[in-house]
Amino acid sequence: MHALGLAAAGLAVLLSAAVLPLDAPPLSLFPCPFRAATLLPCLSCGCTHAFAAAVRLHPIDALRSNPLGAFAAAAFAVHIVWTALRLCGLRWVPAPLPVTPRVRIGAAALLGLNWAFLVLRGGP
Amino acid sequence: MLVRCPSCRSTFSTERTGPQDCPACGKPLVVPDSPGVVPAGVQSSLQSTAQPQAEQGTPWERRAELGTWRAYRDTVVQALFEPARLFGSARLDRGPAQLGFALLTVSAASIVAQLVDYFFLRNWTQMFLRRLGGSGPMASYWQKLAEAARETSPRSAALWALLTPLVVLVALYLNAAVTHLATALLGQAKRGFAATFAACAYACAPLLLLAIPGCGSPVGVVWTVVLTGVGLQQTHRIPGRTAAAAVLAPYALICCATCALGVLGGMAALRGSP
Repeated sequence: MHALGLAAAGLAVLLSAAVLPLDAPPLSLFPCPFRAATLLPCLSCGCTHAFAAAVRLHPIDALRSNPLGAFAAAAFAVHIVWTALRLCGLRWVPAPLPVTPRVRIGAAALLGLNWAFLVLRGGP
Repeated sequence: MLVRCPSCRSTFSTERTGPQDCPACGKPLVVPDSPGVVPAGVQSSLQSTAQPQAEQGTPWERRAELGTWRAYRDTVVQALFEPARLFGSARLDRGPAQLGFALLTVSAASIVAQLVDYFFLRNWTQMFLRRLGGSGPMASYWQKLAEAARETSPRSAALWALLTPLVVLVALYLNAAVTHLATALLGQAKRGFAATFAACAYACAPLLLLAIPGCGSPVGVVWTVVLTGVGLQQTHRIPGRTAAAAVLAPYALICCATCALGVLGGMAALRGSP
């Protein structure tokens, strides 16, 4: 049931990114308060642009905007397709990734690298 | 009932007993008729995780026997004043009920807030936003918001009200996903996404305060964050400090990284100064 809920949420986000213009409300009402206060990007800065680029099949632009956002958009797309296939009767399910300390450290390092990339890249 | 797969150790809910495939790894397993009676030969390959006595279900999950209004009222009261009891009794196989509770609570409060703002507080809100937009680092943001609020037509207000449940659904699942990611990164996601979702869903109860103009929103949001921590502690059965860390990690990560960068920048500036 939660897989279906996550797929619905992901589909709504991807459709919004495809339909809504970036420079008009409501998306233009999402400037980062963290950046406004500190002049530094937050972890999710650029995700709106990354999603918009990803749904228009511009992966390089999506990665430039925010690698984490581009990965999240791709993960949403894969999850939506997979959920649709499961609803159609697909039985195969990938084995869950064991969350070992090494995996956790790797994920934290990737988050840090993503943020360092955003800081070094600068700009909106 | 909840069943744990002996192959991949993941827990899933099922309505039927007998031979079936694990939805996580696809391997076959057998669910016995009664959790207490495990047929010989199956015992070694099957670990049933029947609900402990404490997990009888929250009042909202037992609304069929309590009545909808009483169940809702009791759930809200417990969430606000006895959260440990509420989260301790939440059943992880009642995801749809938990989703319904959160959708009903937040959507109703948001729609009331939007109507109150549109019909009674519009002028005051615009004046407030204009003042906020006068100066400060967020000035441009407040100016844009004031402009958007000024241009709101009755049709777009009605559209926003209609879209509110969808927005709430998306926000709830994104919040649960981010919280679960933080919990997993801390190695505390002991009972899966369903436990995180239950915590996030019932933690929405204080968002009823959104309907109160002014201080309702900030109080409701802070209360919700605190309740999410209490919920994670109960549903995943983890210590309070790690539950708090999991809830606050996304915020703390940003602040700590900025502080570290600020300290490094300050040290570099001091070294560079004569």
